[in-house]
This record gives sequence, structure tokens and C-alpha cells, in this order.
Amino acid sequence: MSGGMELKNEVLASSTCALCGACLDWCPYIANIEDHLVFRFDCNVSDGRCYSVCPRTFTDWEAISEKYLPDIPQDLAIGPHLKAYKVKAAQGIQGQQDGGTVSYLAKTILEYELAETILLTGADDHVTPEPFLSSEVDDIQKAAGSRFLASPGMRKIIAAQSNNVQKLAVVGRPCQIQALRKLDYNSPPQKPKMEVISIGLFCMWSLGWAFRDYLQKEFPGEEILRLAIPRHGFEVTTDKGVHELPIDIVKKFSKAGCNYCLDMTSELADISVGAFEPQEGWNTVIIRTPKGQELFNQALARGYLISEEYPEDELNRLKGAALGKKTRNLKHVQTAFDKGVKPFIDLNSAYYVQLKELAEGMVK
Amino acid sequence: MEWMITANEPGKTYLMQGNEAISRGALEAGIRFAAAYPGSPSSEILTMLGHVADEMEIYAEWSTNETCALEACLGASFAGIRSLCVMKQNGLLVVGDALHSASLSGVKGGLVLVVADDPSAHSSTNEFDSRHQSRSAAVPMLEPANMQEAKEMVKWGFELSEQLQQLVMVRTVTRINHGRSSVILGEIPREKQVPKVIGEWDRMVAINWFKALQVAKVDQAQTIFEESPFNWYAGPETPDMMIVTCGTGWLYSVEAVEALGVKDSVGILKIGTTWPLPEKFIVNHLARTRKVLVVEEVDPFLEQNIANIIAYHPELNIELTGRHGQKVIPRNGELNPDVVRNALANMTGTTFQGPEVMLIPFEEAVPLPPRELTFCAGCPHRASFFLLKQTLRIQEGQGVVMGDIGCYTMGGQRAGHFLYNFLCCMGAGISAAEGLGQLTRFGFKQPVIALAGDSTFFHSCMPALVNAKYHDSNMLFVILDNSATAMTGFQPHPGIGLTAMGKTTEPISIQKVVEAIGCPVTVADPFDIAGTTEIVYQLLKQPGLKVLILKQECATLAVRKRKKAKVWVEQDLCRGDECGCGRFCSRVWGCPGNIWDYEAGKAKIDEVVCVGCGVCVSLCPAGAIKIEGGEACE
Amino acid sequence: MSKELVKDPLNIIISGVGGQGNILATELLASALVEKGYFTTVGETYGASQRGGSVMSHVRISATTEYGVLIPLQQADIIVSFEPTDTLRVARDYANKSTLIITDSRPNYPLGVLIGEAQYPPVEAIEAELKKLSGQVQIIEATKLAVEAGNSQATNILLMGALTALPSVPIDIDDYERILEQRFSGQILEMNRKVLKIGYEQVK
Repeated sequence: MSGGMELKNEVLASSTCALCGACLDWCPYIANIEDHLVFRFDCNVSDGRCYSVCPRTFTDWEAISEKYLPDIPQDLAIGPHLKAYKVKAAQGIQGQQDGGTVSYLAKTILEYELAETILLTGADDHVTPEPFLSSEVDDIQKAAGSRFLASPGMRKIIAAQSNNVQKLAVVGRPCQIQALRKLDYNSPPQKPKMEVISIGLFCMWSLGWAFRDYLQKEFPGEEILRLAIPRHGFEVTTDKGVHELPIDIVKKFSKAGCNYCLDMTSELADISVGAFEPQEGWNTVIIRTPKGQELFNQALARGYLISEEYPEDELNRLKGAALGKKTRNLKHVQTAFDKGVKPFIDLNSAYYVQLKELAEGMVK
Repeated sequence: MEWMITANEPGKTYLMQGNEAISRGALEAGIRFAAAYPGSPSSEILTMLGHVADEMEIYAEWSTNETCALEACLGASFAGIRSLCVMKQNGLLVVGDALHSASLSGVKGGLVLVVADDPSAHSSTNEFDSRHQSRSAAVPMLEPANMQEAKEMVKWGFELSEQLQQLVMVRTVTRINHGRSSVILGEIPREKQVPKVIGEWDRMVAINWFKALQVAKVDQAQTIFEESPFNWYAGPETPDMMIVTCGTGWLYSVEAVEALGVKDSVGILKIGTTWPLPEKFIVNHLARTRKVLVVEEVDPFLEQNIANIIAYHPELNIELTGRHGQKVIPRNGELNPDVVRNALANMTGTTFQGPEVMLIPFEEAVPLPPRELTFCAGCPHRASFFLLKQTLRIQEGQGVVMGDIGCYTMGGQRAGHFLYNFLCCMGAGISAAEGLGQLTRFGFKQPVIALAGDSTFFHSCMPALVNAKYHDSNMLFVILDNSATAMTGFQPHPGIGLTAMGKTTEPISIQKVVEAIGCPVTVADPFDIAGTTEIVYQLLKQPGLKVLILKQECATLAVRKRKKAKVWVEQDLCRGDECGCGRFCSRVWGCPGNIWDYEAGKAKIDEVVCVGCGVCVSLCPAGAIKIEGGEACE
Repeated sequence: MSKELVKDPLNIIISGVGGQGNILATELLASALVEKGYFTTVGETYGASQRGGSVMSHVRISATTEYGVLIPLQQADIIVSFEPTDTLRVARDYANKSTLIITDSRPNYPLGVLIGEAQYPPVEAIEAELKKLSGQVQIIEATKLAVEAGNSQATNILLMGALTALPSVPIDIDDYERILEQRFSGQILEMNRKVLKIGYEQVK
């Protein structure tokens, strides 16, 4: 039986929290401002929803993968998947990141009624993330562009449930997609289920909100229009021009919880989308489930997206990058578990064992 | 009752509260001026005088602080007007400089300073003995033993004051101020004093030139006290033991002697003029005995002055016992009949035969829940402390909070989620924060917050705010403005717009004062918990001095003025013990209006207690608490 | 026939939670006693009590001499209390085998109980212990009766009515009524008279 106090002492106290937001908005104990997430008062419930949905509490990831991506070919680097594509939007959308693919997949979902409501993250000032639910295609533009500041967007599940949403689409980071699957997996049998379709994003790390203050200090008086990570560093586009920040400086602002993440490409989503590194203005799309395939096909059929064969060498590079993140973070994970942090993954699972062997192999 | 203090019925006996008797005594002395600052247990005195001020043609003022009150009385005294100044023990310390200086300059019109001590600190943060100040300031002091004496001493105090041209202190304790007993009324003079002309060369100046005169006045008082009817001896010619007592100790001692049946061997020397002591009178009586027990409230003041007398009179052969040695009377805490009787039994080797009592062993006794202090239902402080505590936790910066004195002092306990780290005296919070907030330059990173109420703000925070702004300390000063001096009984203060005499007047805006000092001010409603949390969070990010006024009216006042909204819990929406609530409203929010129905297993609103503020409505995670009707809280 | 003071001094404790009006009720009682010529002293503790703490009034009555305002431990002759746990708390300190106890049965939950950290004991258990500690215990549903009479805030006067019915208390119901007439008028006076009688009937 694990509840709020266990979440507080195991996850929040150990700084492994990914700020996915799945624990928020159900109860009055867990509170959040910007990127702080705390128990504002102690709860006395021994069997808590928060603990059961949190991706950093013990999870049988294999069983979850089995249930939601059954019989999909596995891959140690980029997870279970059917196919990868090089994709971009046929027509641009204002504020788009890279190929603008996610925006048009979202549009397709609503038009094709794969879901009636979609969970997106906007940012009025182009920096401060604001998650929202919408059933309107016109709202999608608000969410165009990547959010680098960590946003606890999964809190919106509560609002979706209380609005009796039957079919929900979620655009989220790997930790958020993990939480989404755990939520359904641990949901009490008598509770009415919500059908979900998920678009997972690629993610190396998310930034703490102190980065926003840093930008204000670095570029005083300038209005930030866009943030991006093209291959050569961190790009800040303001009304006064384009600035570049060394990636190492930006990385210093990454959230501690991101160091424990073993998923770069949202391996549990129906469809995952990230940048296509070799060419500006294009996305990498990974199809994982039949539902994801259906969505993709629809988007193509409506002429929203253009897709091309995914170059083999880029796929290898992508896998290398993903494994790089995993093996780097594995060190942090192992240290944490050795120090007494409760494992959020089965240490005897094939996945963990394989990753460990790979990491050890790389050291040699 | 108030009408008793003005009743034209000399010779009539009424049941009067000590504070009523004091007010009556002052009126019987023909005062025309009274000034005070609220402080339990003395607050009722000025309240009553304020209510009857028009009828009795006197001036009564709730001064901004005790120093203003005492100094105002000095001004009136200068024109020959009899003035009464009232404060509690802490207030006497606040007026330290004024008291000692005024004692040096002396007074013209009689000035009596009534100081109320609070043994065992029933309504105070500390237990303190004001009598030391009378000795330190060379001011004669009287200690009433019952309510009749409280009246007589205050009345006579004015005569003494004019005879000596010196302030006179009357020291009471809670049991006198708030106790009730029979009091025989005297006459209230019909002729009203008229202010005298102050001539070009008339003086009331506190300069050292008058030191010798000041000392001489003490000697003069002592001579007068040798014949005072407030001191007497009752008991055998040559008692085996003598109790020397003052104040409430007297009646306890009488009862103790009676209860132990030692009337024939124990005498009681009752002292009413506790400073300066009537030395000859005391030596005469001490000569009758070998053993002395001193019974008094708070410190061994009388005891150690008696010890002085004994030291200066080697012919006396006395074994002296009292609070000092802690042999039979505890050093700390209030007197009561049991403490005194036990001490006497100990010293006389007797035992008390009490009524038959049943002793219940601990295991069989019903366990009783303690009764803790909390904020009233609808109190804005509950909301302020809740939101400050949660903001500091969310902000994760380990904020340090300096508290201050008022209803909100309780915020340092469970009712306020144990918010404070620091508490001293009135106005101390902001200056302590100022000091701590200067340590940023040495690497101190934690946010620093100081709290003060609206009355406290006027009392002592203004110079402190100037200091904090001038030195630009890194701190957040939060003013809890509930438009009341609530803890002491809703006396008006300069921010209210009402005087002690019931006149409306221009209130002084705290916001304007703060702005005039040059501080950036934010005003927020503590009832908007989510919104104000965000405001505090953002303020804590900024460097320098920030001021936040949390403005919302005291619930006890608000409920008298407005129609109450109806608040109830929709039972089928209430989550109760389950995940997603865990009895949040009653268990964490803790308003006495939010109660837990053990039988139904759901939350409920106690309609008798609830004032309809609606804050819990915004906190319920299930939206189960509903509100309807009533006039909104602004 | 007027009642005489048999026990001298007679010690009565009136106890409740802040806001229940026991101070006013006690003051009226003491005034009635002073009018009859008795030496009466009343001791009280309040100040912080408005905010949920307990308030105890000590009343000491004598035909011959003035007493200090506090009753010695275990020497209360009568305890009248508005709240069951307070009754027990007071009785433990001040009751002896001859003490007469009158108490309301309506709980007033302290903060610890409201938040679920302390338990409120069953009134039957409280009554049982009270019976062990004292001579006689009478439970009156004063608040319930006051509410039925039309005013939940009149519990204090109702309990005073019960007090005046006791043979050891040297005033009669009309003595108390006289004080009510001095202090109140109109509807409030009528209500107070009404509940005073109801309280009186509970003991008679």
C-alpha cells in the first residue's frame, strides 16, 4: 500500500521526479508552481492514485509494453516500433518546430475523430509552457513549437476525466506517455476507461524554469520568439535577432529528474515524433502501433503530411543517440538505486539487464 | 457592568469586576483624561471610560502605543488635569524611557499609571513582574488585594500623586482585573477640573538637576506609607510565624490560615504600599517573630526588599522564606489557595484535612482530547497562514518567518501550521527580518518574511519599516490587515476610523504610509488563496524590501455586519477519507466550521459556527462544498 | 421561603468553551447573590478563550467573609458545565465525593478531534467517570432544549435555571429573574425567562 507520503519520501525527496504532472490536480496535497512540485501538506492516505500513476515508482514496464504494444518488434535503442519515416507538413503552420508534423497529426486526430479532445501545450510568451485541453482545430496553432521548459502537462487528465471525455489524444514527453500507460494499467476495474491515442515526443532533457530568468537576464528587454536546438547548439530567436548559447550552459538548467530517464523517443506512444537532424524543416516519425499507423495514413491521405523513406544511416545515428542517453543516465540510475532510492524498474527485467551489459561493454 | 462605574449611588454595593472598580476609582477621583493601549487583562478599563466619556465629560483615548498614552497623560497633567494611564506588563517595558524620565521631571495634575501583570501568562506570551520598574524609576507603587482596594488605591493614588508631584503606579494582576467581588461605591465629584494656565516659566522637564528631588520624593512617600490604612497586621501578638503578603496573596493567606487551623500561631502582615516599603512599620511587626513567609505574585520583589530591611536591621532575627529559595513556594507561576496552603502547612508542620476525594488510576481514566487555540471560523489569518506555509513549501527555499504579537501569534502553533521561526515582542518581527535580510551579502540564501498585524503596524513597525527600506534589506514584510485589534477585544486603532469615545474620524491608510516611506506595496486578499499564493511566490523572487498587505476583515466583526451566506457539503460529492481528499477541510484547513461527521463518514459544515467566508469552497478538491446567498466578503 | 446558605463558603464552578456565554451567566448569578447580601467573589480566565480555549468561572459565596477568587482543588461543591469533556477536566481537579455536577451533553469538538488526530470519548464513558468522582451527576440536554425553545445561544441561562433549583444555592428562581429584568428587556428578556424556567424544571 503506497500513498502520498511514499511518493514524497521516495520520488520527490530523491529528486527523481520527472515533472510529468500525472500526480497533480486530483488531490489537494500535491501542489505545483513553475517547476516546483511538492506536498504542500502531508496526506494520510495509504493507497494513493499518485503513487500508482507516477513513472518513477516501481513499474513492470515489460507488462505495460505487452499490453499496449503487443507483438510489436522490440528495439533496445528506440523501443517497439513498426516503421520510421522522414516527414514534414505539406503546408507550414505558424510557429512550427522542424517539420510541423505534430500539429498536423493533431489536426488529423480531431478531424478524423480519433479523439474528441486533445491535450496540448501552448506558450503565450513562446517560453512559458501552458498545458490545455481542446476540441477545436483552431487551438492547435497555439501549441505549435517545442517547449523546453519542463511542463507538468499530464495534470490535465483529471480535467479530461471530469469532463467525461471518452477519447483523448495526448501529446507528451516520454515520461508523460509512461504515466499515461500506467494510469490506464493501474486504473481500478470499475472505473470507466478513457480511450487514448498518444503522440510521443523525442526528449533528451527538460529545462528548469530558472532558464527563463536566465534568458531574461542574458537578453534584457528582448522578446523571445523561438527556441530551438539545431545541431550546433541552442538557438534563441528574439525580436532583436538570433542568439546562440553553448549547449553546455543550457544543459546546466536541466531538471535533476531527467537524469534518470531511460527513454529518448517515447517508446510507449502510438506514434513518436522528433527532429530530423540532417535536414532542417523535417521530422523523424516512428510508428509503433496500428492506431499510430492509422493516424499517420489518414494524415497522408488528407495531404497534410509528406513522407519519405527514412535513411538507414540516420536511423543508425538516431539509435546511437538514444543508446547514448540511456547509457549515460544508467549511471545516475544505478548510483541512485545503490544509495537506496527505490527502483522504478525491475532490475531483473531483460531490458535493464541488456542495457547494463551494453553500458559495461561501452566502458570496456 | 458599565453603568455601575457612573452610577450616582454612593454607599451602594455592587458586584464589580476589578477593571470596573478601577474605572470607578478614577472617576471618583475626578479624572478628566485617560489614555491606554489595549493589553489583556487591562483592556476593559479604557473601553468603559471611552463609552462613558461623553456622559462624564472626560477625554479617553486609545493611543497608538503605550508611550503615546503615557506621554499624552503627562501633557494633560502639565495643565493640572488628573490623568489615568493604563497598560499591561509588556506596555510598561515599552514606556521605559518615558517612565523614568517622567519620574525625574515629576507631574502636576495627579497621574496614576495602572499596570496589569499576568501571572502564569494566561493571556500573554510571558509572565513578568512590573514592580521592579517602580523601584527602578523611583515611582511609588500600590498593590490592591481585592476589588474594593483596587478602587480605593486608584482614587487615593491621585491624591498621593499630587502631594508628591510624582507619578503613582498601581499594580494589579489578572485575578484582580478580571475577578469580581463586592465593591461599595463612593462619590463622583460634580465639579469638573479645568485646565490650568501654563505660565512662561512653568516647567516639567526631565533633567538630572532634579535627581535629588526625585530621591527625596521616594523618602516622602515612605513616610506617608508608614501610616497607610492599606497596610495592617492581623494575628497573635507574638506569632510563631508571620506571613508577609501583598496583592492577591492576602486572601489566599487568610484562607490558608483558616483551613489549617493555625490562627493562634500564624499572623498575617498585609502590605498595600509595596514600594517604597514602610520600613519602620515593617520592622515593628517583624520584631514579633522569628519566621517569615512572603507570599506574592510573580517575582520575589517584596521578599528581597524585606531581606534588605532585615539586612539593615541586625537586631531582627528572621528566617526568611519565599519564592526566591523555592523551598515551599514555586519560583514561577500564579499563586492559588493550594500553593499557599501547602507552603504554610510545610512551614508549620501541619496537614490539611480536605473533603473525601476519589482517585481514579490513570489506566481507568477516560482519555480526553486537549483543547487547543485556533483562529475563529472565517478568520483571514487562517487563510494567510495557510497560503504562506504552502508558498514557502512550494518555493522550496526554506523561507524563515518572523512572527509578532496579536491574534496571529497563534499562527506559530498548529492553527497556523507552525509557521513561525521567531517571536519576540511587538514590532520585533520586521526588524529581526531586516537584520537577517542583510546577510545575503554573506551567502545567506533563504527567503526572509516578517509578519505584523494592522494594530501592531501602527504600534511599533513604522520606524522599523523606515529602517528596512532605508537599508534595503532583502525581505518580504507582510501586514495582516484585518481592520481590528482583535486579540484584546476589538479596540479601534488608527486604521479603523473610530475613537475610544465612539467618534468617527479619518482613518490612516496603512498602504499610504508604506508608500510614503517609499516601499513597493502589493495589496491582496488572503481569501483568494490560489491567487495570493502566486503573488507571494513572485514577490519572493525579487531582491530588496517588498511589502504585501493581506487585507480582509476580521470574521467576528464581519459576521455582525453582513447577512451570512449558507455553506454546506454536498454529501455524495464529498470524498471524505478516500484518496483525493483525506478529510482536507477539517484535518488540514482546520476551520471550526468544517467538521467531520463520524457516522456518515463525510465532511459537514457546523452552521452555528460557520460565518460564510467561502474559503473552504475553493479548497475542496471535489467541489463538494457549496455556498449560496449572503453578502460577499470584500 | 428563602433558601439559606448552609455550606460556607459555597464553591461553584461554571465552565464552558469560549463563546458559550458562561461569563455573562456567572456574572448575573453573582449579582443576584450580592443583592441578597452575600460576600461573593468570581474568578475567571479569558482573553485567548474566544479562540477555542476553555473558560472557567469560580464563584465563592459566604455569609461572613470575603474569599480569594480561586477555589482550592477538590473543593468545588457544585460544577455546572456546558461541555462534557470540560466537565470531566474540571471535575478531575475540583470535584470531591460530595460534589454535585450538572452538565450539558452536547460535544464541542476541539481542533485535534476535528482534524482526526484525537478521539472524542463517548459521553457515557464521561458520565461514568463523573459519577465515580462526585456525589451526584445530572445530564441536561441544555443546548437541545434551548434550540427547541427558539434560541441556541440561550444555553447559558438555561443551565443557570437548573442551578437555582439546587437546595444548596441560596437564591431562588425569582432572584435570578429580577437580575434578568434589570439587564434585559423585550424579546430577549422573555426568551431568557423562558429558558430559565425550562432549566429549573429539569432539576425539580
